[in-house]
Amino acid sequence: MTDVQTTEVDPPWEGLTGAELHAACMQAARDGDRRAMARLVEELTPLVWHVARANGLDRSVAEDVVQTVWLALFSQLGKLRDPKALAAWLITTTRREATHPFGRRMQPVPLSDEVAEAMPSTQPAPEDEAVRADRDRRVWRAFVRLPHRCQELLRLTVLAGRAEYQLVAEVLRIPRGSIGPTRGRCLDQMRDLLASEGGSR
Amino acid sequence: MNDLGAPGEAFSDDLILAGVGRFLDELDPPPGDLVQRVQFALALEDLDVEVARWERLDNLAGVRGGGTGTITFTVSDLTVMINLTKMGKLHRIDGWLVPAGQYGVEVRVAEHGTSSTTADEGGRFVLDNVPRGTTQILVHLGDVSCRRTVVTPTVVL
Repeated sequence: MTDVQTTEVDPPWEGLTGAELHAACMQAARDGDRRAMARLVEELTPLVWHVARANGLDRSVAEDVVQTVWLALFSQLGKLRDPKALAAWLITTTRREATHPFGRRMQPVPLSDEVAEAMPSTQPAPEDEAVRADRDRRVWRAFVRLPHRCQELLRLTVLAGRAEYQLVAEVLRIPRGSIGPTRGRCLDQMRDLLASEGGSR
Repeated sequence: MNDLGAPGEAFSDDLILAGVGRFLDELDPPPGDLVQRVQFALALEDLDVEVARWERLDNLAGVRGGGTGTITFTVSDLTVMINLTKMGKLHRIDGWLVPAGQYGVEVRVAEHGTSSTTADEGGRFVLDNVPRGTTQILVHLGDVSCRRTVVTPTVVL
């Protein structure tokens, strides 16, 4: 019975969120706690994934890169002293892996083709929803035509706006609720693409 | 282009970002089993490893789940080529290490444990009857004084 209680004791990061959660998990992971590693992976895999995808990798290559990044992190965790640097480290390492000249020689499927395939066709729906679905499809078509750096910035902007990715906001140094100049240019570029598409479809 | 006003103008920052948000969640979310596969890749006794990259010189998309084909992966000074032959629910793995050496090779398959062997002087190795599934390959290089382990990301074979 004592054993059961010992194994079910709440981990030190229980109840923590954001930067505090990551700091507690990194500390425990450095001491070899596998549950802490698992928790970090669960928490931050979407971030690594979206950076990989924004940098033009097809889905299967992105999957490999996500794993490579995590393996690289835990094989050298001791070197990353500052937990606050974790998100920045993940983003930078993913970007570097994504553009690594090795093993990326096969032409990836252009994202726009994948999206075209996955794009849900217009279904009979309440009018509001149909309008939104149509608007989304136009936004998505424009989005995949943006340069990679804009795609990455906009993906990260969206993630940073979500509570669990507050640390991304810190990496991007986005003052709460503001749109920086680079982001503004990317959004304008989106509007240009949307305009040139003409809304005829 | 359009005298009636640019249709893009109707898209505010918020509208675009909301649309991108739905793109991330609906069209391009991480695969549902990715977290589990990363966790499997990390479930190694010793995490002091070098991570190799799968190369896609021939179309690995055709190999994934398809059962037969050649895969190459590399790390700084080692190349591993693997040829898969499908045999029912199992497969045979023929491998070749360059530069050659009598190194230990392990193949981990999720929920099926590990198969291991040692490459011959020419760097060749064979593993028969390897279950198919989420797979990771490890190569142990060097000697007792300087042991190195190279691992691959997991891939569904």
